[in-house]
Amino acid sequence: MTIEHQILGSALRAVAEEMGAVLVRSSFSANIKERRDCSAALFDDRGRMIAQAEHIPVHLGAMPEAVAAVQAHDPAPGEVWIVNDPYTGGTHLPDITLVSRTELGFAVTRAHHADVGGREPGSMPADSTTLEEEGVVIPPTRLDEETLAALVARMRNPEERRGDLRAQLAAQRLAEHRVAELCARRGRERVAAAMDELYAYSERVVRAGIAALPDGRYEAEDVLEAADGELTIHAAVTVSGDELELDFAGTSPQHAGNLNCPLAVTRSASYFVVRCLTDPDVPASGGAYAPVTVRAPEGSLVNARPPAAVAAGNVETSGRIVDVLFRAFGQAVPVPAQGQGTMNNLTLGNERFTYYETIAGGQGACPDADGPSAVHVTMSNTLNTPVEALELSYPLRVERYELRLGSGGAGERRGGDGVVRELRVLEPCRVSIISERRRHSPQGERGGAPGAPGRNLLNGEELPAKVTRELAAGDVIRIETPGGGGHGAPARPRPVA
Amino acid sequence: MAILGIDVGGTFTDAVLLDGRRLVTAKVPTARRQEESVVAAARAVGAAALERFTHGTTIATNALLERRGARTAFVGTAGFEHVLHLRRQNRAHLYRLCVDHAEPLVPLERCVGVEERIGPEGVLRELDLSSLPELEAEAVAVCLLFSFRDPSHESQVVAELRRRLPEAFVVASHEVAPEFREYERASTTAADAYLGPVVSRYLGSLAGACNEAGLPAPLVLRSSGGVAALDEVAAHPAVALVSGPAGGAVGAALLARLAGIENAISLDMGGTSTDVCLIAGGVERGAEREVGGFPIRLPSVDLHTVGAGGGSIVWRDAGGALRAGPESAGAEPGPACYGRGGDRPTITDANLLLGRLPERLAGGLELDREAAAGAFAGFDPGEAVQVVNAEMLRALRVVSVERGHDPRDFALIAFGGAGPLHACELADELGIGTVLVPAAAGVLSALGLVATDERRDHVRSYVLPLAEAGELPPEGEADLRYAGQSFELRVPLGPGLEQRFHELHEERYGYADQSRAIELVAVRTADVRPGPRLELPRAEPLHVSGPAVVELDGATAWIPPGWVGVRDGYATLIVTRS
Repeated sequence: MTIEHQILGSALRAVAEEMGAVLVRSSFSANIKERRDCSAALFDDRGRMIAQAEHIPVHLGAMPEAVAAVQAHDPAPGEVWIVNDPYTGGTHLPDITLVSRTELGFAVTRAHHADVGGREPGSMPADSTTLEEEGVVIPPTRLDEETLAALVARMRNPEERRGDLRAQLAAQRLAEHRVAELCARRGRERVAAAMDELYAYSERVVRAGIAALPDGRYEAEDVLEAADGELTIHAAVTVSGDELELDFAGTSPQHAGNLNCPLAVTRSASYFVVRCLTDPDVPASGGAYAPVTVRAPEGSLVNARPPAAVAAGNVETSGRIVDVLFRAFGQAVPVPAQGQGTMNNLTLGNERFTYYETIAGGQGACPDADGPSAVHVTMSNTLNTPVEALELSYPLRVERYELRLGSGGAGERRGGDGVVRELRVLEPCRVSIISERRRHSPQGERGGAPGAPGRNLLNGEELPAKVTRELAAGDVIRIETPGGGGHGAPARPRPVA
Repeated sequence: MAILGIDVGGTFTDAVLLDGRRLVTAKVPTARRQEESVVAAARAVGAAALERFTHGTTIATNALLERRGARTAFVGTAGFEHVLHLRRQNRAHLYRLCVDHAEPLVPLERCVGVEERIGPEGVLRELDLSSLPELEAEAVAVCLLFSFRDPSHESQVVAELRRRLPEAFVVASHEVAPEFREYERASTTAADAYLGPVVSRYLGSLAGACNEAGLPAPLVLRSSGGVAALDEVAAHPAVALVSGPAGGAVGAALLARLAGIENAISLDMGGTSTDVCLIAGGVERGAEREVGGFPIRLPSVDLHTVGAGGGSIVWRDAGGALRAGPESAGAEPGPACYGRGGDRPTITDANLLLGRLPERLAGGLELDREAAAGAFAGFDPGEAVQVVNAEMLRALRVVSVERGHDPRDFALIAFGGAGPLHACELADELGIGTVLVPAAAGVLSALGLVATDERRDHVRSYVLPLAEAGELPPEGEADLRYAGQSFELRVPLGPGLEQRFHELHEERYGYADQSRAIELVAVRTADVRPGPRLELPRAEPLHVSGPAVVELDGATAWIPPGWVGVRDGYATLIVTRS
């Protein structure tokens, strides 16, 4: 890569990072401002991702579909398009994506909004069976003041939604401005050439990483704990030279619940594993995934068709796809043990407020290191909402927030511990919990012990892994998140606590 | 009467003595016991009859980074005592799954809870001091929920701990960082306690050593860029965590003021890292900074640091891209051209090969061109310089463009051993028209110390609608946001506060919303006693046109074609585009 390309690449990445910073700092949803459940990216004229400000991995592979969906409408410069339909470029409905043209390509922001309407406050029901129940479905639409007003009117807390969308719009405008400046200073052709090279560079780095993996075909499977019975995810990984094929044939068909994934989410999860196993530091661009083919049977859990519900696919199934792929690759190369394998999605709300959080757990141990405790594993990396920030803003009180000591699996390297979080609601509201690994523990690797499975409790009574129900003022929800699996057989038995 | 400034760095301790208009500088090697280096540096400049003595130190930073602090315990609200270990729940690296954050300063077994609870509206559960376990520790940090609103429980716990552990260094979070967000406050308090015994020991022996040498006890530079009495820093050493690099920014601000320049960006490029800082009428300060992986919620000079400098090693990555740093040749063996056994290419070697360094440095070191050329086999020195410049540019953009400032309105102040070699090319990239290179480029931090203000910062937490805040101090700054946001913008207090917030929001984020309520998060004030007005010695005029190499005290400046340098009355080289 020439120096000019490196310098321009660094300038393009700086634009994406600046977009992300504006979005986080000027938004209103706890999801965006405290938890940073959002991403910003620049695409080239051909709709290829060139630079991304990475906050959470689940947006990795899912943005190109959104750009493609908007490109199909031939957007004019100056226009901003909005989309959240998981079947035309989205992931799940709360993730609202804005796309606009820049001087050279497209700017994209995606953010998880606190509410997008639908049956349940927070738009993350645990028991939805169709997409319509989960909120307002927005196909690619040109966004103007009128559309914006009409859209937010169909969601809860329309003023907050308007604020968050304005923050996204500010990031779009910033990108348009910065890319135009860059083209004016450096010349449009040279910026375009640098974009090509950035894409090619990431591709070269990842191809070199894949070439270092032993050729062969490796298979694995694991399960999801759906309310209507267990669902299987099956993957066959074929490493051949510097290319990879990930085939999900053998995975359960899409189900009546909401663990279904649009293909974009399956791609994101697949790319995540490729990145961990090849070069974790490769600049995020579409080229990194050019050597990877993802095949998923249509109508399956990992390539669902409308009108299947998808709220949990993005947050839960994505993590299990990662677990299955790591397990398959584990037959060829050292891989980490399974982490908590869930985001422990907790949504609370009524017509007056909505609050959504995901809760950390134990990371699986690696061959050379213990798994960290109390972190988000795999596809999320959102921050917690500080107790003091939460209580200043919502009718909620945190009763307990601590490490769940001893929940990590034993091993030569220990799995990380999960956490315990207890929230008391101070006014009547509804709760939705979407969680996994309540029946099946995160597994150890190479003889390491499994982590403890998670638990959900209401006033001390056990709740299922997925639940939506009423709460009275004073009720306490307690979530105990899973520990990570250990790596390698433990030197001595774990002391009994 | 003379004024002395001493800056202790990792390799050298710099002293600047200003006696009337006579300026004496010296560099001595930094000893293991910093107080010895301070006294040695003071002797080297012939310090006597001092009117003022200021000192910048890396003792707190080093103790934190090298984990040499006290055996510390942490007391939190029962049920929340693991806050230092829970952090903000994000992992350290997105794709390296077992890379963990820095190990907390207090191990889990010394994190304990006390029964009590305060909420946003007041006490929810009375404090039960009998629930406070016995602790064995040299230092204790106490951080209870909502103590920024109501410090009564924290004060009682601290009093009880001081009774039980009279020898221990005990700190309450509301004394250090009375602001909301419990993890950041707890982290700051833990660092303060952890550093307490080490830093007070050092400052105690420093005071003793100075006394023996006939020197007054020095004022100590805080991270905020202001100095304070030695015992104030000993009471809360976390305030000095960025003391070292803050001196450079303060020195650059001084230089800008003397040159009559309001807006500047400092570029302090050393051997392994580079600090940049925005100066707009004075150094910019931030409310929080990360040191060694721990958030420190205390006012500090808003420096941005990148891990690249003159000693950075040049290499090629798997994708074929040329890279510089973060690995550095350091002082030993140093760049290949130093002839001390280094055989890997560094930025300094590239500068030599490009003719931007003399064959013999001002200090007398002969540079080995052949060794540099050997190390650069297969690499292009011009490209290596461009790569490291790209790193610098990113840092310069972070403090300017990303904070809403147009770099074209700023001058660049270049110092540190390598800053003046790269400054003009960086200025070209950013559209900056003026570069200032101080004659004392190698000891600017110590020069800054000589002139720095005395400063005590105060913060009061509000977190309520601005309309309900009551009367605010006439001077200082308010942290404001739209109700519902999580990040604040800092607006100077005074008339028209609301309107100025809307305007700043529009400028920073591209929109304002007059109909939305504004929330006041905190008010920051500072007692400032201005430092002395300096009269620097005059220098002979000098006029050079690029390309030219200008040798300075402890640094070399490269003036590329198209730039001209003029030395002003204060011996500062002012380089502009011709």
